[in-house]
Formats: sequence, C-alpha cells, structure tokens
Amino acid sequence: MALYILRRVLQSFFVLLAVGLVAFSMFRFVGDPVDNLLGQERTQADIERLRDVLGLNDPFIVQYWNFLKDAVQGDLGVSFRQGRPVMDIFIERLPATLELALISAIFAVVVGVVLGVYTALKPKGWLTNLILTVSLVGVSLPTFLIGILLIYVFAVELGWLPSFGRGETVQIGWWTTGLLTGSGLKALILPAITLGLYQMTLIMRLVRSEMTEVLGSDYIRFARARGLTDRSIHFRHAIKNTLIPVITITGLQLGSIIAFAIITETVFQWPGVGLLFIDSVRFVDIPVMASYLMMISVMFVAINLIVDILYVIIDPRLRAGENT
Amino acid sequence: MKYLLLSTALTLGAAPAMAETFKWASTTDPQTMDPHAVNSAPVLGFLNNVYEGLVRRGKDMAVEGALAERWEPLGADGWRFHLRQGVTFHDGSTFDADDVLFSYERASSESADTASWFSPVSEVRVVDDYTIDFLTNAPNPLFPSSIANFMIMDRSWAEANESVVPAKDVETFATRNTNGTGAFQMVERQPGLKTVLEPFDGWWGEVEHNITRAEFTPIQNSATAVAALLSGEVDLINPVPIQDAERLGASGAVNVIRGIEARVIMLGFGHEADTLKYGANAGDPNPFRDARVREAVAKAVNVPAILQTIMRGNAEPASQLVSPAMNGFSAANDRRPAFDIEGAKALLADAGYADGFGFGLKCPNDRYLNDEAVCQAVTSMLAQIGLDVELDTMPVSNYWPELRADNYDMYLLGWSPGTFDHEHPVRFLVTTPNAEKKLGSWNFGGFSNARVDELLPMIQSEIDPAARQAMVDEVTAIYQSEHTYVPLYVQPLVWGTQANVSVVQRPDNFFILRWVTKG
Amino acid sequence: MTRMHAFLSSDFFWKFKRSPVAIVSFTVAMILILSAVFAPLIAPHDPFNPGSLNLMNGFSKPMEPNQFTGDTFWLGTDDQGRDVFSTILYGMRISLFVGVASVAFALVLGVSLGLLAAMAGGRTDAIIMRLADIQLSFPAILIAMLVFGIAKGITPVHLREEMAIWVLIISIGLSDWVQFARVVRGSAMVERQKEYVEAAILIGRGPIAIAVRHILPNIVASVLVIATISLALAIIAEATLSFLGVGAPPTQPSLGTLIRIGQGYLFSGEWWILFFPAGTLLALALSVNLLGDWLRNVLNPKLD
Repeated sequence: MALYILRRVLQSFFVLLAVGLVAFSMFRFVGDPVDNLLGQERTQADIERLRDVLGLNDPFIVQYWNFLKDAVQGDLGVSFRQGRPVMDIFIERLPATLELALISAIFAVVVGVVLGVYTALKPKGWLTNLILTVSLVGVSLPTFLIGILLIYVFAVELGWLPSFGRGETVQIGWWTTGLLTGSGLKALILPAITLGLYQMTLIMRLVRSEMTEVLGSDYIRFARARGLTDRSIHFRHAIKNTLIPVITITGLQLGSIIAFAIITETVFQWPGVGLLFIDSVRFVDIPVMASYLMMISVMFVAINLIVDILYVIIDPRLRAGENT
Repeated sequence: MKYLLLSTALTLGAAPAMAETFKWASTTDPQTMDPHAVNSAPVLGFLNNVYEGLVRRGKDMAVEGALAERWEPLGADGWRFHLRQGVTFHDGSTFDADDVLFSYERASSESADTASWFSPVSEVRVVDDYTIDFLTNAPNPLFPSSIANFMIMDRSWAEANESVVPAKDVETFATRNTNGTGAFQMVERQPGLKTVLEPFDGWWGEVEHNITRAEFTPIQNSATAVAALLSGEVDLINPVPIQDAERLGASGAVNVIRGIEARVIMLGFGHEADTLKYGANAGDPNPFRDARVREAVAKAVNVPAILQTIMRGNAEPASQLVSPAMNGFSAANDRRPAFDIEGAKALLADAGYADGFGFGLKCPNDRYLNDEAVCQAVTSMLAQIGLDVELDTMPVSNYWPELRADNYDMYLLGWSPGTFDHEHPVRFLVTTPNAEKKLGSWNFGGFSNARVDELLPMIQSEIDPAARQAMVDEVTAIYQSEHTYVPLYVQPLVWGTQANVSVVQRPDNFFILRWVTKG
Repeated sequence: MTRMHAFLSSDFFWKFKRSPVAIVSFTVAMILILSAVFAPLIAPHDPFNPGSLNLMNGFSKPMEPNQFTGDTFWLGTDDQGRDVFSTILYGMRISLFVGVASVAFALVLGVSLGLLAAMAGGRTDAIIMRLADIQLSFPAILIAMLVFGIAKGITPVHLREEMAIWVLIISIGLSDWVQFARVVRGSAMVERQKEYVEAAILIGRGPIAIAVRHILPNIVASVLVIATISLALAIIAEATLSFLGVGAPPTQPSLGTLIRIGQGYLFSGEWWILFFPAGTLLALALSVNLLGDWLRNVLNPKLD
C-alpha cells in the first residue's frame, strides 16, 4: 500500500512537469505580451528591449526551466500585467475561488445525492419525472447563458441579489471570506448555483443509475428475502454500494468545478483565480498563466491521487490488481 | 435592498450627512499606479484624478494651467513654465521645480513608457524654485499640449521608497501606491478588483464635486456591467454597449451620455506587398498597390448603413485620419467617397479586375466597439462588387503581432491621436517607416510618399497656425487621393450613469472625478 | 421487408410505442436533425454567403417588415441582416456535426484506452491513467486554445476557416475521452475479477476477444449514459468556447456562436437574436438527453 502511494506520488510529479512543458510550449500561440505593455507610441526598439527584459527572447525550454527553478523555491515570477509577484496575487485571489467551489460542490453533492436517491427509490413517481426533466433543462443551456439569465432575473428584474462581485468580505489572516457577512453570502448564491448546476445533475443521474442497478442486484434481493427493512436495505446496503462510481465522479468533478469557475467568475466578475486567468490570457500574462496551470494541475493530480487511494480502500479487490 | 452595498460603505467611511460614495466600473483595470510606467489610456485616464501635470485639459479639451500657472516660448529654443506656489503632495511635502526635473528624468528614462513625449527635448533647466525651462531641438509649438499627461511625482517620496525609475518587470513602491498633487488621493488598491479614492483636503484647486469616496471596479463582461448599472450597484459604467444605449436611455432610470471619441476607425492595406497572402487569389500580384482598387473599396463600403445599424446612429462618418474635434482637422478636405457600387465596379474594371478577386481581411474582435461586426459587414459589402473576402478575426493580443509580421492583405485599425493633433496620425501612419527617426511606426503597409515625408518636419516646427494648416491640408489631400487608408467612422463614446449623477465626458474617454456630482 | 417487419414487431419498438416521452423527444430530435441536414433546401436564405446579406435588414423584428427595406423575416434578423431562421438551421448543422464528431472521437479514444489500461495493467495502465491526469489538468478552453494555436501554426493560411470546425471537434473530444476511459477502466477491472472472465482466460481466449465478448457488453450501459450526456454537453461546450472567443467563426456561426452574439442583445430589446437560437439549443439538447435516458432504460434489461 505504501509502495503504491509512493509510486503514484512519483508519477504525479512527472505529470506536473509534463503539464508545465505543454503549457509553456503553447504560450507563444496565445499572443505577444509586449503590445499590451507598451503604448501606441512605442518603437520597434522599445519592443525588442522589453522582450529582452522579460526574457521572451529565450527559447521556451529555457523560459520553462527558469520558471521551474524559481517555482521550486516558491517564486512564481512577476506578473507582466500587474508588475507584482504572482504568488501575492494568487494569495489574494485564491480564497474567492475556493469558497465558491466549495459552496458549489456542497450544493451539487447534497442536492445531487438526495435527488438521485429519491428518483431511484421512486422510479415511477410524477415528481421523479419532473425532477429528471427540469434538471435536464439546466444542463441543456451553456453555463454562461444560465449565469446571465440568473443575473437578469434576480439582480435586474427582482433586485434581490447582487449582479457581480463578492459583497463585503472579512479578513482572517491572509484569507478573505465572504461567508461571514450578509452581503457576502448573498453574493455567493447566484454564482454557486450557476457553477454547481451541471455537476449536480451529473451526480444525480449517476446516483440514480447506480442505485437502481444495485437495487436490482441479487444480494439486495437476498437481503430483502432475509426480511431486512426497506430503510436498512436502502441506506445501509444500496447507497454504500453506489459509492464507488459516485466518489470517482465527484472527485473528478471537484477539479472541474474549479476549472469551470473560469466562466462563472467571468460572468459574475467574481474576483477569483479563474477571472485572473481569463485576464491573463487577454493580456498574455505568461507568469500568471503558467502558475495558474501548475496550480490547477497540482489540484487535479492531488484529487486523482486521493480518489484512486480511496478506490483501493473501499474495494479491496482492486488492490491485487494494482500490484500486478 | 439594492442599496445594501452602498449603505455599508457609507457606515464604514467616517462620513458626514452630505457624504456621497460614488462607484464606477469600466472594462479594464489600470494595470499600474505608476504614471510613467505604462502609456495607456486606462492608466493615464485613472491617474489624472490622482496626479497632475504642468498643464491639463479642461472640459472642452483646451489646454489649461495645472501645476504651471503660465508658460511662454523661449523664442525658438523651447518653453518656460512658471509653477504654481503653495501646492503640496498628498503626503504633505511641498511641490517645486526640482520635482518637475525629477519627474522629467523619471518619465524620460529608458524604462519609462512615456519617453517618446520628450524626444524633442534637449535639456531641462531649473531656473529657480518655481521656474523651469524645457529646451527643444527645434521650434515646437505644440510641446505644452503634448505633455498634458506628463504627471509630476515627488522626488523625496520616490527616493525614500526606492521608486526612482519606473519598472515593468518588478514591483516598485509606486506600482501600488501614489503620492500626487491631484484632487483625489488613493486610499485602497486591490489590483483587478477595487481601487478607492478619497478627496484630498489640501488640493489647491476649487472643488466642484460632492464626492466623499469613490470606488472603481473593473467589470469585463458588458452584460454584467449593464446589469450592475440597472440594479443600482454602480453609478456609472463605461462603455455602455452601443446596442443597449437607446433602450437604457429610454427607461428613465439611467442616463446615457453620448459623445464622439478621438478615435478614427479605418481600413489599411499592404502597400508594399508584392502578392496577396490569403483567400482564393493568394500568391497573385497584390491589387491593392493600385490606388484605383483602394478607391473602389472606399466606395463599396456603405458607411451610413454601418452607422445606422451596427453603431445605431451613435457614430459619425470620418473623412480623414482625425475627427473634426482635433487640432489641425482639414476642413478643406472634409469629404469622403460616397457609397457607389457601380462606381466601385467601374474602378475595379479599370484596374483590370472586372471579375473581382479574393483576399484576406484581418480584424481584431476585442479592441474597438463592435469591431468584429463591422468587419463582417465590410465583408458582405465588398462581396457586392465581386471581392471575395476571407475574414479572420482574433483577440488583440494576437492581432498586433500578425500586423507586424505583415500577415494581412487588408486590415482594420483604430487611431486615437495622443496629442489631439492631426500631425500625430501623419507621423505614425502615413510617413515612410523609419526606425531610427521613430517615424511611421504604425504604417504597417509601408506607404511612402516623398512630399509627405518632406512636409512632416515642417509641420512639426511651424509656429504660424495658418501656414501649418495649409501644410496639413496638403498632406490630407495626398493621403486622401492616394486612398492610403479608408477612414470609416469616428468611434462613439457611450457612458451610462444613474439618473442623479452628473459627469463630464471628454473625447479622450478620460473619466475625471472632480467634475462629478451626485444627488 | 422482413427486416422491417422484424423491427416493428420487436420488443424495442413495442416499448417505444408505449413511452410518450420517447416518442415526443424522438420526434423533436428528428425534426431538428432533419431540418439541419436539409437546411439548404428549407432555409429561405443562405446566411453563409456574405454577398446575399443586406446590412440595412439588420435587427428586423420577427414577422414585421423591415423599416428600410420592407423585407419580412419569420424570426427576424441579427445585427448583420442575416435571417435568424436560416442562420439557426445552418448553425444547427455545425453544432450537430461538432457534437456528434467530437463524442465519436472521445468515445473511440476513451473506450479503447480505458480497455487497454484495464486489460494490460501494469506500466501501460499507469501511463494511460497519468495521461488522463494530464488531460484533466487542462480545462477545455485551454485544450481548445492549445490545439487551435498549434493548428494555426501548421495549417496553410487558406485552410484556416475550414480548420476551425475540426479544431473544435478535437478540442472538445480531447477534453471528454477521460470520462469514458475512467469509467470503462473501472468497470472492466471489476469485471475482470469475475469468474466468467477468469474462465474465459483459462480456456485460452485472447485479451481482445475477452474485451469485446465479455467486458464491452457489460459497460455498454455506462458508456451510453456518458455518451448521451456527452453529446448534449459537446454541443453546449462548443457554445461555451464560443463565449470565451475560441468557437466557430462569426461568418459561419454555430448555435453557440449565435447565442454568444445574442447574449449581447439581452438588454437592448432585440430578444429574438438570443431567444430563438437558445430555444433551439435547449430543444435539441433536451430531446437528445431524454432520448438517451429512455434508451438506457430499454437497452439495459437488468434495470427492470
């Protein structure tokens, strides 16, 4: 087991290196940062000088190596756009994204599992059909449109909720939280729903499908035959057995919630790292783009690692398979 | 409910009953608070509220005294500025000629983005504490107005905070902190999120605003910005998407303020390219070298239709590279080719392209108002005269490198003269490119005309306004008859405010806080 | 004839006839798909031909004559004077093509890699799953930009416009295969431990035969669930990419590009530019999703 985890960690490390390499090789296609940094009265000489100062004339392998060398020491470089250390910017922006992702994930998992279990247990009910159909409407429109429509209805027409930003935040050490103020909580509602809707539907459908399958399987029939109560069958046996794929997908979705936050943050002007990333693409802020990608990769790889380890713990049969 | 944010902000500020917090939003965050590091409109526009120059522009764009009370030419050698006395910086230190000298050194240093403003300057001499001379290589009648955005920084503050030179690759103290003499001082700066200004009690000027606190937030997505204005979360947004202007204005809840920007939108050509690079005729000889073909394009583009639909009647057609509001506008040449499909076809036939040809049009999709839609419209209009346009649109960060690499047959360009003078686009867009003399640096197509090159230095040093205008008129007539560019329209400015807010909109699109009243 | 007869009397068709949801969603999906396929025959205008557009027709209201030209358009026109109805038909063609092709691409790639990983195990498994990690580390928008950038670098300039669609297909497909691979691998590894598969190995069946005969049938249900959601999602992913500026070109808009353009008119009163493309997308995605749901129930008798 320890050996397995060690090997996975090592593999993950190489994944990160590869991600960085791919990322750096694509930067030259994103555009040229110097045009955004110089005014219209710049000359060709200004352009060349700035390219040199920023190290853009080096081959991308050299740029990548320099980035890695500094990143290992905790220095992510200086943002081209803001002229400030990328690390400082991330520390400012990360809490907003993590809070949004956390609230969306909780929304997605809680609502998704509850609705999934309900629709599996009552497959013929009219409420089930309603839930299944309505939830599909939510995933049949692109996220950005749902966000804009929510803003239109709840911020502009009804005036109940704010249309952008985080509201008031409270500083706790380096962490800023919007969870402790009324306006902060209100500001979370629309973005969290927008971001979590898709994952919620996915989890619900998955729970329903797995649960239905398990309920039809032999050992549940056997348990029923043994005279166990419905309640015990449903909640002790059936749900437990639907967990493997649910854990996999939920784990994977956690990562994509953070990635998809890019769109939600853009629509709601949510001051997190996703918005920062879109900004950095717009202004070809290479240090910020590179750091964001590395950060997302670390997060994804860590989530994958945890999911895989949980997999092995929950289903011991897989252990032998992993070691061959 | 919707005033929740507002009311909490009010209780936070130590504000009396008259307190007015003003919130505004725009698409781009000023990337630095250093007035010499980046020469871009968002930065200079924002910092005009915090820092001040020797001169500034008034509500009508006229140059007026700021930190200099008056100025006079030193014959043909340069300009003398008499500085205002009793001015203090936000940190309390006194303003004098040494700060101007320091700011000149800082703003003209190699790492400053503003250095080109000072290329005519040979030397700066402090005469006494409140008099300073800017000596120029040649007579330079426009020098005072060309430094309206040259902002003065305190020498002792910059030295104490190790910010003596501006920098792009590292953070200096001046990147996120300010110490100007302006009507507002910065009290909070969260880059990309929020910047808060408060009035400076020690300001020398007469206060016209009633703002006690001002918060700026960048909002990129235009629908979100409109929603924030409609829901009362912000007091002003810039810009209002053109299509929304009419309906927002009619709703009564908000004011829509329209104006004409200094920026002219035009089509450019590859004048030097031997062959076409894109489309069905890639590799064939370049038809745009023939002025008749360029004229045909000018006649085939139905500018009134573009203004009517895409611009919703908010823009004016352009006859030349500057708008009528600019200094040196050539009234004698204020005609643009009329929309004339038959005429355009005849010109093409004349040039030997009766059957038309295919080529590529490059266009940005996030730089100018509705740029992509305008290029699409141009594409379908040129199709009417048999030109098969392959349209390629891209974000501006990819766009300039493409133009610099000559990857276009035709392209869209917007130009806003930094000096508000016709000489500016002539210098950058029409003069033969010359890296050493810093001329024609945006003349991507490589247009070259000996008479224009000859006239430019004469325009730059001519003191007599009438003689100068005559030469500007001549240049205008040349680039018009050559159809060097096809000027399309002057880009509109559209701001939206709450009904109880009054602001002043200038053609440079700078938002000046000291002219804002609310309530 | 006999085959037709066999189908009509089959279990499958009998169940179809008895499910109103299936009939309605099948009908809606078929109408949409057929009208997209036969768009050139149905559409009154050719929105992809710039020469046929008249800018003065721009922003015509549905069913009302334009104030300048007097032309009337069923569903109005957009900012370029393009007939919204025709543009939707042509746009749906592109959206459907991108959706189907990218899911097919993701499915083939994902299922083969997932099976390979599960069957081969060891180093192959590790490499494939780490590849999946790399893949997952990149949000779809980045994959699109990467593929787009590289494609731009290597394709001749005159092919770029046609290339945009293929870039979209590859980017969306690439961001989707991992789902297939992980689920297929997970199920396959569980199946592999089961007695009947072990028996098949004992009697000397090759790994490919085992994968095809024994494991694939067992994962059809999971793959179908994912493929269903994926098709609708791929169409929507295209729209999202378009919002971020890397979608279909504006001169040949997909439904997503139309929605991206239309959302700019939400506050300006030209509701039809957003409403009709969004409604079409919703109808398409919803009917495909519902149909997929029903198919899953029918094809997976174990569930009844």
